[in-house]
Amino acid sequence: MSFVHIRNVSKSFQDNKVLNQVSLSIEKGEFVTLLGPSGCGKSTLLRSVAGLNDIDEGSISVGGMDITHLPPKKRNVGMVFQSYALFPNMNVYDNIAFGLKMDGLSKLDIRSIVDDMISLIDLKGKEDRYPNQLSGGQQQRVALARSLVKKPTVLLLDEPLSALDAKIRRSLRNEIRLIQQRLKMTTIFVTHDQEEALTISDRIFVMNQGEIEQVGSPNDIYTAPASEYVARFIGNYNVWSRQQLQGLPVRGVPEQGDVFAVRPEAIRMETGYGDEIEGGIVADGKVTMVSILGNILRFEVDVSGLPVTVDMLSGQSIEHLGSGTPVRLVIPRDEWKSIRKSS
Amino acid sequence: MAGRSTSQHKIRLLLLIPFLLWLFAFLLLPAIMMVISSFQNEGGQGFTLGQYVKGLTHPLYTTAIKNSVILSLVSALVGITVAVIGAYSFTTFSAKMRDRMLNISNIMTNFAGVPLAFGFMILFGINGMLTLLFKKLGLSFLVFDLYSWTGLAWVYIYFQIPVAILLIYPSLYAIKQEWKESAALLGANTWQFWQRIGVPVLLPAIAGTFSVLFANAMGAYATAYALVTQNFNLLPIQIGGMVAGDVFPRVELGSALAIILFLILAIALFINEKMLRLARKGQ
Repeated sequence: MSFVHIRNVSKSFQDNKVLNQVSLSIEKGEFVTLLGPSGCGKSTLLRSVAGLNDIDEGSISVGGMDITHLPPKKRNVGMVFQSYALFPNMNVYDNIAFGLKMDGLSKLDIRSIVDDMISLIDLKGKEDRYPNQLSGGQQQRVALARSLVKKPTVLLLDEPLSALDAKIRRSLRNEIRLIQQRLKMTTIFVTHDQEEALTISDRIFVMNQGEIEQVGSPNDIYTAPASEYVARFIGNYNVWSRQQLQGLPVRGVPEQGDVFAVRPEAIRMETGYGDEIEGGIVADGKVTMVSILGNILRFEVDVSGLPVTVDMLSGQSIEHLGSGTPVRLVIPRDEWKSIRKSS
Repeated sequence: MAGRSTSQHKIRLLLLIPFLLWLFAFLLLPAIMMVISSFQNEGGQGFTLGQYVKGLTHPLYTTAIKNSVILSLVSALVGITVAVIGAYSFTTFSAKMRDRMLNISNIMTNFAGVPLAFGFMILFGINGMLTLLFKKLGLSFLVFDLYSWTGLAWVYIYFQIPVAILLIYPSLYAIKQEWKESAALLGANTWQFWQRIGVPVLLPAIAGTFSVLFANAMGAYATAYALVTQNFNLLPIQIGGMVAGDVFPRVELGSALAIILFLILAIALFINEKMLRLARKGQ
């Protein structure tokens, strides 16, 4: 049986239905991500697990115990907020110790647990600093320690990296994952950043308008999006309808399916015109733009009005692939995904 | 580039001159004159500490100091208590309602002095509208003597509350919902949140506002004068009387009393700051 079980949860704010019969299960020690754009209901679902907002219907259980109607303090869940939410009148030590003090632990026990936690988050020597004397990354580490110190059954992370700059975000992301794995902590992470979700998660729940659109491992979600919505949200997929392809110089399109998705890095781009591959889809077009994205070269190709994005690894010679160059695009059949049309 | 920057700096300094002149002419110079005058004999001669001795020993003036301090403390305490509760309730309103309440507070802040005293007279004076209405309805227990210490305290509290609301509201608004939620998830109840986080965070603002209210009441002259003229012994009324009210002005004693008033405020601020530091250490 799953460790966290969310069954048919619905929630509305006035007339706006934010969660619509959401059900999902999470295994003990698993790191799952609720991924979706702003307003898709991911934070509301997380707050419902924390007990910070009531739900209209459904139930939530953790470790076999129904927590649907328990107040937040009795749920034994830890939560980290995007804004850190550290108590400004307390230093690092007191912020981390707060939950233990509320539990009535002795000063000696609190000292020992908090010291361990400070070592875990690598903030030794900064115990006396106040939140305003710490960087964003350090504040978020304190917030993480404060949530972990009570050994919660589930750790909830509500966009904890969004307020940080890119470099710190990446390093803290890895740190969170390492700590989670070390403590084997069941974790629900909320983000709108697909790269973050793909990097950090065991499983991803892609959410759309208060419903779960697709569930899967990062690899499943990235390589096999189930719907047009997921394909468009998850990356730079080329998404075309059959209608769009009609009358264009695209050969080998399969008979089945109405909407198709192709990863930009799965497309082979050639300047020669002799090598049609068996079972592949072939299109002829012209390069309109080349961008350098660090280790990736991104080409925008125009196939008689149909825009196609093609990614290649950097380091290759591209003098012969400048703007206006006629090219042939070759897409292997197994990379041509037929997906569900989204409303 | 450097030359241009220097000339811009000079222009900025030139723009400051009218303000500095104003500051010197209407704040610094009168203050210096007042200090000098407070150490002179009546008639502005010689050097003496006599004016201070008189101000701090004569029963008329010590009573005035005592009355002013008590009235200021009471009105500041009541004012800040009502304001903290009121301003907190504002934070729970919709943005539109909140703006309206703040606008009302703003208007009330500017309704002070003589117009406020007359407003109270019309409502609560001997023949005031509400006084007569309460008597007619048999609610005599609601009638109070406006021209007494109690009446004066009500008027002072009235003008303290909106000032306190405007000063304390931003700090209350800055109490983040996430702090309350974090505290709740970590096992704190509402009382523990306010005891350990809310009030300590607000304490500097509360203490600062209290100081402002205390100073506001200590220095209030027009309201008290319009209401009780010289029938109630307050320090600002005594000072005013010595400069403008008596047949023979006693500027030197008035100056000494004004310096004493200033010192009381300075001591209050000092105690306030000390208490704040102690409170911060104890957290």
